[in-house]
Amino acid sequence: MSAADHRTVGELLADSEVLARETLLDATPDHAPAMVRSWNQLVGSAAELWAVLPSAPDNPSGLDPLERLRAVGEAIGRSVTAGHWPGQGPTDERLTQIADNLARARDLVEPYGRPSQQGSPETQRDIQDLHVQVMHTLYVATHGTAVALRAHVTDLQQRLAAEERRRQRLAERPTALEITAAQDMIARFDGFEQLAGAYLFGLPPILANPDQVREAAPTRLETALAAWEVQAHRTLATSPDPADLVRVARVQALITSTAGVLTEAAARKGDIDGDIMQRLAPALEANQVAWGRAAKRWGELTNPTSRTDIALVGAAGEVRAAIAAAATNPTGWATADQLASRVDLPKAVKILHLSMVASIDIAYVVRDTAADHPGLAAPARIVGMRAQGEAEIAIEQGETRYEGVTWTTPRQIAANQPIPLPEPARRGLINLADDVIATTNHAVAAAAQLHPSHVEAANRSGHEAHRGRSVEGLQIGRPHDPRLGDHADELHRASPRRLIDITDQTVVTSNQAAPVAAGLRWHCPPGMKLPKPIRECARYRREPQTRTGHQGIASKSSPAAQPGRQRPKEGHA
Amino acid sequence: MSRQRMDADTAETVAGVVRLLRRAAELVWAGVDAEGAGSPRQVLGLGIDLAADEARNLLPEAIPVDGPVPVGDEPAGLLRSAEQLLRRVTTPGAGTRLHGLRAQVADLVREVNTGVGG
Repeated sequence: MSAADHRTVGELLADSEVLARETLLDATPDHAPAMVRSWNQLVGSAAELWAVLPSAPDNPSGLDPLERLRAVGEAIGRSVTAGHWPGQGPTDERLTQIADNLARARDLVEPYGRPSQQGSPETQRDIQDLHVQVMHTLYVATHGTAVALRAHVTDLQQRLAAEERRRQRLAERPTALEITAAQDMIARFDGFEQLAGAYLFGLPPILANPDQVREAAPTRLETALAAWEVQAHRTLATSPDPADLVRVARVQALITSTAGVLTEAAARKGDIDGDIMQRLAPALEANQVAWGRAAKRWGELTNPTSRTDIALVGAAGEVRAAIAAAATNPTGWATADQLASRVDLPKAVKILHLSMVASIDIAYVVRDTAADHPGLAAPARIVGMRAQGEAEIAIEQGETRYEGVTWTTPRQIAANQPIPLPEPARRGLINLADDVIATTNHAVAAAAQLHPSHVEAANRSGHEAHRGRSVEGLQIGRPHDPRLGDHADELHRASPRRLIDITDQTVVTSNQAAPVAAGLRWHCPPGMKLPKPIRECARYRREPQTRTGHQGIASKSSPAAQPGRQRPKEGHA
Repeated sequence: MSRQRMDADTAETVAGVVRLLRRAAELVWAGVDAEGAGSPRQVLGLGIDLAADEARNLLPEAIPVDGPVPVGDEPAGLLRSAEQLLRRVTTPGAGTRLHGLRAQVADLVREVNTGVGG
């Protein structure tokens, strides 16, 4: 940061957004590792700036969405520092520049303290715009990183295949492990992007009457889950005891079960499609079972002296209390009618599924803990039993390193004293964490279409008068350049949960698939094959009623508003 | 009541409470496993776990928690015993955390008596 930097806060934020867009437009395979390495610094700077900005008018409870994201950013940073892919190396210039800009903005804002959010609707809009700008920068940069990571994975896969054909030396080839690690990183960035997107697309409108703003206050469940995620990351970051891991897994299992109960109730009440529930229910069940198994295995490693982090106990207690109050009755889970009378079902479903998105990263941290935590120790008898069991499985699969190895001494067994976990015992924990990760990803993917954000986006059309400025802030203000070839490429390359409406360069996720689909009726060239979520989207098959129905996504310069734009044939749907 | 100021009798009583709660939790989680995914007894199981954590965190490091496994196969009975033990702690000025634990265990007893956990 140069001493001659005279940019204002507004200019620094605007420059940051431009840089974030550039990462997206220039997301090449080579950039991906450096972008991952820079991530923690970027999120840290954003969080520090956020902390000194006036609190957002949509956030009267003090619930801090950046804390949640910062916890994920720090977890990714720790993972890289611990030597996991991509390991140490150069950082990304653009992301580092954005981090520096945000740090500079913080320096400029901080002397004025954190003023109250009280003020006229215009002031509140300005405050919201600042928050939106910071979050949008992160959102676009996340997407850019994920796109670069996907390109990197494709590149590694192609190189691996080509070099196998050419019989290149093993040391010069990318490894399957490297590819898996990069794919894991994509899943973590996908989760991050959904969390940032949930903030951007779930913003309540700024109303003239402050009382109405207060009505939009987060529920107890929302607050408890957000606090839980942050605390789980904090506890797992600081030499956790196996008892902490048990508690994390038990709470996550309960959250998953609750998500199942509330989602089913929402389906019964007609708030979500029954077909989606049919796909989602087994995914949630598998995820709950996976967390339950992990809890049991970590539980075996505890001993009578084990202590659970007191802050984790507090956060878990609040989640339990919130779930008990919202979703249970004296005989078990509350009925659909009871649930509908107690909570806003679509909102509660959204909150729980967002929490599942956040749990993807918690699951990765659990796996990192199993793999790396140097202080991981457990009673000798269970360590011996588990290590031997895993070693035998590995030997059956051709692993020779474990043959004839004994994992404990008779003395350790006699005293059942805590001993460090040998590699095979860790391997068992890692496998269980992998199951959790896979089932969480599956559940999150199955839930993608029921995410009510797209409903909110549509509902927002009624609030355009006071959303206008923020909506502008959400758009990547490139002059209209249809580049429909790129559009098609991006849509084809995108995973089902990630799409870009390139017409106005607005980044969207499947949460916004419906409005985007409605927009694509107008933008798509004939013959273009659409991704599944858009094809399946009911709104796509309908004639958009008005352009304001998806104004939260499309820009004012959208070609949808232009007469004569070719529309896709119905067959594409 | 800080860990340092806890007298030996109280510490021993709280250690007994930890054992009772841990055993009760073990039984409830076995029930959860038997019922399969989505069991509502998870709420009770987690509640007992958290009460056991709270009790464990009240104790100084030097106090051993291991001891004989409490007799009984009914979570309700074990929770009632824990509640009774906690009532016996009459240390003047017992801290808010101990009072909180008492209330927490009393709530769990009510929950297990009226609900699915018993």
